[in-house]
Amino acid sequence: MKVEYVMPFVQASMNVMGQVLRQVPERGQLSARPQVFTSQQLSIVCGIVGDVQGQVIFGMSLASADKVASTMLGQTIVSFDQLAASAIAELGNMISGNAMTLLSQQGFKCDITPPTIIKGTNVKLSTHDIPALVIPMTSPDIGVLEITVSLKESRKAAA
Amino acid sequence: MAKRILITDDALFMRVTLKNILTQNGFEVCGEAQNGAEAVKLYQELKPDLVTMDITMPEMDGIQALKEIRKSDPNANVVMCTAMGQKNMVVEAIQSGAKDFIVKPFQPERVVDALTKLLAA
Repeated sequence: MKVEYVMPFVQASMNVMGQVLRQVPERGQLSARPQVFTSQQLSIVCGIVGDVQGQVIFGMSLASADKVASTMLGQTIVSFDQLAASAIAELGNMISGNAMTLLSQQGFKCDITPPTIIKGTNVKLSTHDIPALVIPMTSPDIGVLEITVSLKESRKAAA
Repeated sequence: MAKRILITDDALFMRVTLKNILTQNGFEVCGEAQNGAEAVKLYQELKPDLVTMDITMPEMDGIQALKEIRKSDPNANVVMCTAMGQKNMVVEAIQSGAKDFIVKPFQPERVVDALTKLLAA
């Protein structure tokens, strides 16, 4: 797992959150994930296929998710319904898509799969055989968005 | 008469957002498709003036749906509206007949301008 795969997601989260949430987050310290880790209250999982493959997981608290959805929908969330979940998923989709554009500029052509949302406390996640790195992105109003990146070069690209 | 638009996106949030932008700017949203296969089917049924097309979707992706729609109607107006902005994706879409390529996140004016220009021609 190379650090160069993480940077496009850091940059993409700044680009997308700056535009959608009108807040450019600050990046925190990069660290390695243990093989099995506990998820945040809400996770958005995007699959990545192509020259590099694996997953990216965006984690946040339910309070942050409420704030993100409220900002995106332009109204306060009363209950976290399907529309709110869809807004959160779309944030993950936009950051991943933006990161794919940046990765392609580094020579890696990839595609993303539609995002999946996992909600619940004490959920154990494992990226299986691909080691993961995590970087927290913090904005004052929204809180922390944790980006877990677990990618490896596919055999075709490595050859 | 208001121009009739078919929206294609797997995300409910995006369909609602696009629908709001379009209806507030004098377009009529005549249908909403949740994936490429639905878009192809609804295109035949509704014969819209223009289709907005996401790319990353389950069932059938937006590039495939674009090709199918343009095969059945070589004059179809399809505008891609997606988070995937890399060059190879843009080139493939335009070569397959997409009239414009809008990268998410977008400003409402970007969408309205693109559609207005295309449908005025």
